[in-house]
Amino acid sequence: MIAFDGIFYDGRAAAAVPVRVEERGDDITIGDGTVTARLPRAGVVADAPIPGVPRTIRLPDGERIETSDRGAVAMLWPEHGLIARAAYALESRWWTVLGGIAITAAAIWFVVAVALPLAADPVARRISPNVEAYLGEQALASLDATVLKPSRLPEDEQDEWNDRFDRFVAGEKGEERYTIVFRHAGMPNAFALPGGTIVITDEMVDAVGSNDELLAVLAHEIGHVRGRHAMRMVLQDSGVAVLMTALAGDAVGVTFLMVAVPSMLLQSGYSRKFEAEADDYAFAHMKRHGVSPQAFADVMRRLEKETGGRREDGPVMRYLGSHPATADRIRRAEEAR
Amino acid sequence: MSPTAAPPLAIQRFGFTGKTADYFRIWAVSLCLSLLTLGIYSAWGKVRKRRYLYAHTRLDGSGFDYHAAPVAILKGRVVALLLFGGLAFSGHFFLWVQITFIVILVLLTPWIVVASSRFNARNSTFRNVAFAFDGTIREAAVVLLGFGAIAIATLGLAYPWFRMRRARFIVERHRFGATPFKSDITAGGFIVAYLMGLLMLIGAGVLTVALLGAAFGLAAVLGNAKRPSAALSLVPVIGIYASYLAVFAYLRARVGNLTLNSAIVGPLRCRSTLRARDLAWLYVSNIIAVFATLGLAVPWVTIRMARYRASKLCVVGAASLGSFVAAPGVVGTATGSEVGDLFDVDVSL
Repeated sequence: MIAFDGIFYDGRAAAAVPVRVEERGDDITIGDGTVTARLPRAGVVADAPIPGVPRTIRLPDGERIETSDRGAVAMLWPEHGLIARAAYALESRWWTVLGGIAITAAAIWFVVAVALPLAADPVARRISPNVEAYLGEQALASLDATVLKPSRLPEDEQDEWNDRFDRFVAGEKGEERYTIVFRHAGMPNAFALPGGTIVITDEMVDAVGSNDELLAVLAHEIGHVRGRHAMRMVLQDSGVAVLMTALAGDAVGVTFLMVAVPSMLLQSGYSRKFEAEADDYAFAHMKRHGVSPQAFADVMRRLEKETGGRREDGPVMRYLGSHPATADRIRRAEEAR
Repeated sequence: MSPTAAPPLAIQRFGFTGKTADYFRIWAVSLCLSLLTLGIYSAWGKVRKRRYLYAHTRLDGSGFDYHAAPVAILKGRVVALLLFGGLAFSGHFFLWVQITFIVILVLLTPWIVVASSRFNARNSTFRNVAFAFDGTIREAAVVLLGFGAIAIATLGLAYPWFRMRRARFIVERHRFGATPFKSDITAGGFIVAYLMGLLMLIGAGVLTVALLGAAFGLAAVLGNAKRPSAALSLVPVIGIYASYLAVFAYLRARVGNLTLNSAIVGPLRCRSTLRARDLAWLYVSNIIAVFATLGLAVPWVTIRMARYRASKLCVVGAASLGSFVAAPGVVGTATGSEVGDLFDVDVSL
């Protein structure tokens, strides 16, 4: 005969009554020392077992009995739910728990480092050029509304650059998509928007030492456009955000910390790969158009010098910060001559 | 003994008996299965984690219990994920879509607060007697949106009053069984708390500038003024974070205490004695631990926070907890609760 001690809660008042539960064939009896009730065992439901949590059984009329005798409850009311049984089994052993941690780490790494980048490329390719162009326009509009100001470069200088740029992309696949626009931003910067528009800041035009150096920067940005890096980044980002949200759904408070840090780390990983891709494209493009990749090395040195060679903050470093180690890029540019 | 003597006031302390080693296993299995089932298991994991935490939150020898059905939570998660995913994705390009999302989210706040409070209260029991939340969306809209708008319109002058009304709304619309909570909260304490918070921020700002000035001065004396070191540029950053954290901990402790100390349920009154410096230390050490362990310290953080909060909470009154009686519950959906969780909509109780 199985029997256990428990605490009876009738569900009508928040009072605790110690009781003894005993198995009687297909029935159980519940007694508090003076009164004993008898009821069929089948009408009683046990809660899902959780390690370290007392078991609770629910009687047909909503009364509950809580007990620390986990073994007795498990024998009288075996758990039939697959999820609850599997979870309890996994939670009860340290080796399954540690295995779970290892699998989690491996799965996160796989999804973020392998699956998402692989999936993002074909998806980005399927996005129609019109949609991409529209996204680019929207992005520029919101940048104009926030951080970018109208360019202060003279009109004729801008026109000159537009002509020079048209010649620089002439004969390239999709040349009609590429355009450059000038903006004032307070720091040397250049970036490619989805759809082919390249934004150059006045400060970047001032910072470069020659026309070829600016063309080198532009060639690098064309590389980003051709690789659809912006769209791929957005898709990968969204994937990471969804993954982290699903994982950390209810760890309120540390949730956003846990989400922010990995995406930050991954972000720089993505960038490095995309930057290297864009660099390689730039060297080839420059050679096709009679510009030596040496100009790329020169402009990298110049931008680096402007920061005093420090790897910390500063407006120029923000441009360089997301890029592979500058020395490495300069070396590769000079090798590509 | 004089016949007019008041009945002795009994103090019943909350306690927390959970262990990190136990909770870690539930947490780790939940994390792993959630990932392998593309998030579906997270609803089951959430119920199991919460049941562990509730069962080990003890009052008068009994633990609390949580009865939410995982499927109900799962439905809520889907809605929350759509909202959250939409917000995250739209943030990349479309300013106006993101603004629309934020506006919708703000307008949904009363529903989120009411639905999640109702869901959580209804599914929380103590000794088989359920809590309940009777607030309506209309009331929530008046308090959260109406009074919130007043707080904005007065450029924040009415903000402490708004927070007081919000806290009162949440407390007073809760019930334990048939017994409603009451609140004798006043705006005075809130005004003092937020004023102090503001003064702390200003003081920290002045201090940071002064420190920075002193550091630059020192650097100049040492002949290094042209290239101030990286460490120097960190001074304002650390100053800003430290003061933000200090003010955050201070307000958490003060507002939490004011709210809980105002709560009266039947013959019992809650008493909360959270301390700002304890919370500040807990927050700092939590952040460091979670970073240093790549998130593995999350269960430890959860357990120590629960232990601290329980150790600072008690109920005072002449009556026994056994005298509380139950009332029929209210039916709600899980969606509100999940949206609340994902967006960290904090109803600071």
